[in-house]
Amino acid sequence: MRLLPMITIIDDDESVRVATESLVRSLGFGAKSFASAEDFLGSPLLGETDCVITDVQMPGMSGVELRSHLRARGDLTPLIFITAFPEERIRRQVDAAGTFGFLAKPFDGNVMIECIDRALQARSGPAQL
Amino acid sequence: MSASGTASIQDGSANRSRGWLALAALWAAAIFLIDTFSPLDMAIAVLYVVVVLFAASFVEKAGLLLIAGACIGLTVLSFAIMHADNYTLSATMRGLVSIAAITVTTLLSLRNQEATRSLRDQAALLDLSHDAIFVRDTADIITSWNQGAEQLYGWSGVEAVGQQAATLLRTRFPAPREQIVAEVLRTGRWEGELVHMTRDGRLVTTMSRWSLQRDARGRPVATMETNSDITERKRAENELHQAQADLAHVTRVTTLGELTASIAHEVNQPLAAIVTNGEACLRWLRRPVPDMGEAEVSVERMIANARRASEVVARLRALARRSEPVHVRLDLGEVIEETVMLIERELSNHGVRLHMAIAPALPPVLGDRVQLQQVVINLALNAIQAMDGEADEHRRLRISVAPNDDDAPGVAITVEDDGPGVDEEKLPVLFNPFFSTKKDGMGLGLSISRSIVEAHGGRIFAARGDGTAMRGMRFTLVLPRARETVS
Repeated sequence: MRLLPMITIIDDDESVRVATESLVRSLGFGAKSFASAEDFLGSPLLGETDCVITDVQMPGMSGVELRSHLRARGDLTPLIFITAFPEERIRRQVDAAGTFGFLAKPFDGNVMIECIDRALQARSGPAQL
Repeated sequence: MSASGTASIQDGSANRSRGWLALAALWAAAIFLIDTFSPLDMAIAVLYVVVVLFAASFVEKAGLLLIAGACIGLTVLSFAIMHADNYTLSATMRGLVSIAAITVTTLLSLRNQEATRSLRDQAALLDLSHDAIFVRDTADIITSWNQGAEQLYGWSGVEAVGQQAATLLRTRFPAPREQIVAEVLRTGRWEGELVHMTRDGRLVTTMSRWSLQRDARGRPVATMETNSDITERKRAENELHQAQADLAHVTRVTTLGELTASIAHEVNQPLAAIVTNGEACLRWLRRPVPDMGEAEVSVERMIANARRASEVVARLRALARRSEPVHVRLDLGEVIEETVMLIERELSNHGVRLHMAIAPALPPVLGDRVQLQQVVINLALNAIQAMDGEADEHRRLRISVAPNDDDAPGVAITVEDDGPGVDEEKLPVLFNPFFSTKKDGMGLGLSISRSIVEAHGGRIFAARGDGTAMRGMRFTLVLPRARETVS
């Protein structure tokens, strides 16, 4: 059994990715980051992560496509979306079961912590059954 | 006109000539009886001239020759009956004079018929033209009106002839009429666009060609006006111009929108990283055992990201510098004259009259010609659009250029309109970016204008008319005079 919940961060912008990873680690979680959704899907971490924080607009596979991909293979990992373009159209796209946040960059650290907490609770709930 | 209509008119005219012919025969018979059986010793036969003249108006050449021959025959016959036994010289002379009179009259009538026919042929040729052609005398009274004119304007020849052309057609001239008339008198011709009103109240635009006709002594007699309808072409041209203007506007707006979105994203990413690094840094520090190493790295990343953001701004500045203005010595009078040419179309489209006052011998100004023109065009277009709701006679745009000696020596350009003006309380924010009184305005024109003028070391300000001396708005831009360069 792992001691630390593992959180995955996916963002094509390195500065945001590194900063978010640092924030997540400062909260006492394990963190691993990827520059693209494809990188994440090809990593051994797939299926091992407790929560994914992903950018919506990325070259290649988008955050929304990543979710479809995960759900299609039965992976119910909770997701938190971050975006530089917080438009209603995109919010509607990501708003579905298993989405625990839609945050505009720059996001508020406390809001992010709340989202992660809710995601992890939802994750641990069914696992204890 | 239908074919049957033409035929019935021909039938009618044939019937009428038969009637006339009978009348002529009656005349001839009466003259013959008087000539033969009255005791008058006169050249009664000369009266046959009347028959010939009368017949000339409805019979052709052959018929007229036949009638003239018959009249001469009757003269000879009556001479034979009267003077068979008592032949006298004077009676013979009278007979010869009569025959000579009939012959001369016949020949003259034939020549006259020939001339009339050629005139009629010419008029028929004019009718074949699709153009509206009419002739006006020196008092502008219509004397001739072709079928093309009937079709274009809806007035028939009978209605139009005798009327004053400019009044009948409510002609709108592109220049004062006196000026056009003076040109026609000088050069004998004129060409230009006229707007006319048809009988049913439609406005038609025509390409009009005027030619002056002079008499043998060179005095002007009449003007022939040939007008071809270019209403459709003008409409298409105007629509094209409007579409181009709209496109240019849309392109400007979308380019600006795209640029703004791109700049926003480029600046937002490092800002987001700074905020998140700051949050992380605080949390590393607030741990039960602060992690100084992580906190330090977070702060370093914050600095790096702030640098990245300022690099984006520096790149934008460099981009703006690529279109750096070129400052040269300018005569603002010339600059304004050029500018006015660029807004002529807008002036005429909005029915605005322009009053220009350019003072002579203006001091030179150092500046970028294109940028200053942009400022003046912007002010002029605002003024033109502001007067859209005004009555025609109030749509006046005044542009003046004069030396300015108030504070620093320089040149002042003023742009004044007769529009409703801007509310007093809005004057202080007029030059602010994104402030606009127009419904679809972006609110950048005046703000950019002010930046340009200030970059030239000048100033720009607005004043509201008091409703008496000036009705609308007055924008003044003052530019310092160029310092004498030692070279």
